[in-house]
Amino acid sequence: MIALEARGLRKCYTAVPAVSSVSFSLHSGEILGCLGANGAGKSTTVRMLTGLLDPTRGQVLSFGVDIHRDLVAYRRRVGYVPEEADLYPFLSGWEFLELVGTLRGMDRKKLEKKANEMLGLFSLTSHRHASIASYSKGMRQRVLLISALMDNPDILILDEPLSGLDAVSALIVKELLKELGARGKAVFYCSHVLEVVEKICSHVMILKNGTVIAYTPTVELHRKLGETSLERAFVHLVAESDAEQTARNLAEVIFAA
Amino acid sequence: MAIRRRSLTAWLDGPFGRLVRHSVDRIFAGSESAEPGELDLGIGTVLAILAVPGAFAALIVSDRYSSLLRFIRGEHVAFNPYVASVSDEYFFVVLAMVIAAAVAVWKWDRLLPDRRDFQNLSPLPVSGRTIFVANISAILLLAAVLSLDVNAVSCVLFPAVVTLQSPFQVFLTFCATHAATVLLAGAFGFLSVFAVMGVMMSILPYQLFRKSSLFVRCALLFSLAALLSTAFTVPQKFSVLVRVRRPWTAVPPPAWFLGLCESMRKSGGPVFGSLAAAAVWSLTLVFVLALAAFSLSFRRTYLSSGESTESRPSNGSPASLLFRWLDRVLLKSAFDRGCYRFALRAIFRSQEHAFIFGMFGTVGVVLASQALIPALGTHAPAAGVLPSVQILSIPLILGFFLILGLYTAFSVPAPLRSNWVFRFNVDPQTRLSASLARKIVYTFLVPLLFAPCLIVYSHVWGWEVGLLHTGLVAAWCTLLLEGLLVKFRKIPFTCSAPGFKSHAIITALTFLLGYFVFTSGTAAVENWAFGEPALFAGLLPIVLSISFFFYRQRKGLIDSDRRVTFEDKPAPVVEAMNLVR
Repeated sequence: MIALEARGLRKCYTAVPAVSSVSFSLHSGEILGCLGANGAGKSTTVRMLTGLLDPTRGQVLSFGVDIHRDLVAYRRRVGYVPEEADLYPFLSGWEFLELVGTLRGMDRKKLEKKANEMLGLFSLTSHRHASIASYSKGMRQRVLLISALMDNPDILILDEPLSGLDAVSALIVKELLKELGARGKAVFYCSHVLEVVEKICSHVMILKNGTVIAYTPTVELHRKLGETSLERAFVHLVAESDAEQTARNLAEVIFAA
Repeated sequence: MAIRRRSLTAWLDGPFGRLVRHSVDRIFAGSESAEPGELDLGIGTVLAILAVPGAFAALIVSDRYSSLLRFIRGEHVAFNPYVASVSDEYFFVVLAMVIAAAVAVWKWDRLLPDRRDFQNLSPLPVSGRTIFVANISAILLLAAVLSLDVNAVSCVLFPAVVTLQSPFQVFLTFCATHAATVLLAGAFGFLSVFAVMGVMMSILPYQLFRKSSLFVRCALLFSLAALLSTAFTVPQKFSVLVRVRRPWTAVPPPAWFLGLCESMRKSGGPVFGSLAAAAVWSLTLVFVLALAAFSLSFRRTYLSSGESTESRPSNGSPASLLFRWLDRVLLKSAFDRGCYRFALRAIFRSQEHAFIFGMFGTVGVVLASQALIPALGTHAPAAGVLPSVQILSIPLILGFFLILGLYTAFSVPAPLRSNWVFRFNVDPQTRLSASLARKIVYTFLVPLLFAPCLIVYSHVWGWEVGLLHTGLVAAWCTLLLEGLLVKFRKIPFTCSAPGFKSHAIITALTFLLGYFVFTSGTAAVENWAFGEPALFAGLLPIVLSISFFFYRQRKGLIDSDRRVTFEDKPAPVVEAMNLVR
């Protein structure tokens, strides 16, 4: 079943489109990795997928229905982790989860049970009543992940979810995503970390200048491009200059008198 | 000359000069996350705003010194500028002290380097001592600039007006002594708050300091408001100070600086000499205390930032029981429950919002006390005697500022980049914003205004007066609130701040006029109606008509103007119909 589908998405802020043409289908149980250089249109795509931004053209469908037909119902089925962990600094971690859970209409008892259990599993129990202003980046990110997952959504839209996490927490989240995929959740996963995408995503989509230049199962991408790793495949498709040469040029500038 | 200018430029661009500039910038930078649409007052705007009260006050007092007006009033006695201006001089001293102290209260969190400074500056090859000296230099520079700015206009205008008919030498003396006094008073105000903060930081654990800061700042704000209100009462006490053994103990600090001013002018007696000594000693003491406390707190907070852990475990809040009770009786929808909790937490914990609300509350308390003190002096409240117009206006004044304070605070966003939580989770079609705002405002009005009003007025003037007056106050507050909420469609604290609107001045004048109608006007009518309580029934149709008018206004809005919004944008001149997607 197609959980999330983009059909010819286009978004123009100015004359130059931020996203020109993005189409894909994400089935339940799949993890789709979205890759692209800075400015490729990943964040704009994510914002259109969450309904935070109206596309200039095209449609986002969830289980066959245009998301704008009933945005509230759609968002109840979506868990979202934004690129930056921007949380209200005057709330505590627990209060933030309570805010999200309440706005999502979660039952109070269920909310408390899930939030407390997940705070414990993410090693945040002792800090749950401390102000978010005092949290490290990794702690904020863990709170964000809990807020996205605690309502058991069918679709997960994650923009750099491992950002700021320590190695153990990152490993837990990677394993968790694989587990969620195996249990039928549809995951849209945006990242710059190619190794992670390669390891956990069943499919990969590469954006360049707002257009999809590759959209295929991860294993096939290597085969099609004849590259041994996703990193090489990515550079092959996206890089506009020779990375090694650029590094050498930078070193020249650093050592210049 | 050129060499001197070059060396000044080199100093400013050097590490120390750059650190001083950085410290000043940091103190005056807007909120951490200021984005377009958020409230962000830069140094230029702040200095311009701070200069206004002094200039305005100098203009207002000018008519007292007009020879023509004095002639018309029949004041034909010989005019002595020094004697005639004592009460106004005191007012300017109070103003300088209060504004400088208020700025220090406002910038409480920004005066000392914080963890972010530690993260950015400590890896650089700059010693902690250099950072310390640069920061203290920036604070002293700031105290001096603020004092100059607040008093810039009054330092020239006030002496010029007072000594218009006196020789130029008198003007110069008056000008110099006035300037010196208000500058020193401003420095005293600023350094006093700074010393309080430094001492707190030095002796309290950091978490306790953070938690208690808001309460201390509110207490300081109330003290400053009380100090401001002495501008009208203290000058009358100077004549009786001769009989007091230690005059400086009987008057507030601004009077000490007035004593200093009069002593410099050699126009005061031994009383002013004693006050002048108190001014000099207190200023020295505050300066030393501020410096010592700053050194200690700098050592504790900045230098130990690297050793402290970022987050510490803490216990939950007991407020959750209250919220659960409110969930059952008041907050029926998920939107209400989520947003109500968020809004109350923002008001009590976000320093900007608490401060805005506190400022309005303080003005309300000052104006209410201005109404209360004279009323108590002339007619002591007693059963059987109906309350005077001033006494009746007190809860109306408080209600007016309580509602306006909350309404203003609602319009100032908490970090806008965090409002994605609401954008993502709230139904964009919801029309519950006004109802939510109403519930939040009543949460404050009922316990802080209506209940005390009922208890106090019933206790002193009997149940009939108490009930009628509380009922009227509640009805008037409701009408004011409904009027404000006609076009309200924001979730408090989540929408971008409104830009300057062309009708802002008209709105301000309407509020000023509305204040007098709401408070004095209503109280006068009520006082008249108490003569025949049946007349209160005549007010009912008026209240109902106005309520119906607001109801029709709200119902008349087009659908898109009632949905929740996150951006306070003016209506476009040309509406794009968005026909093609």
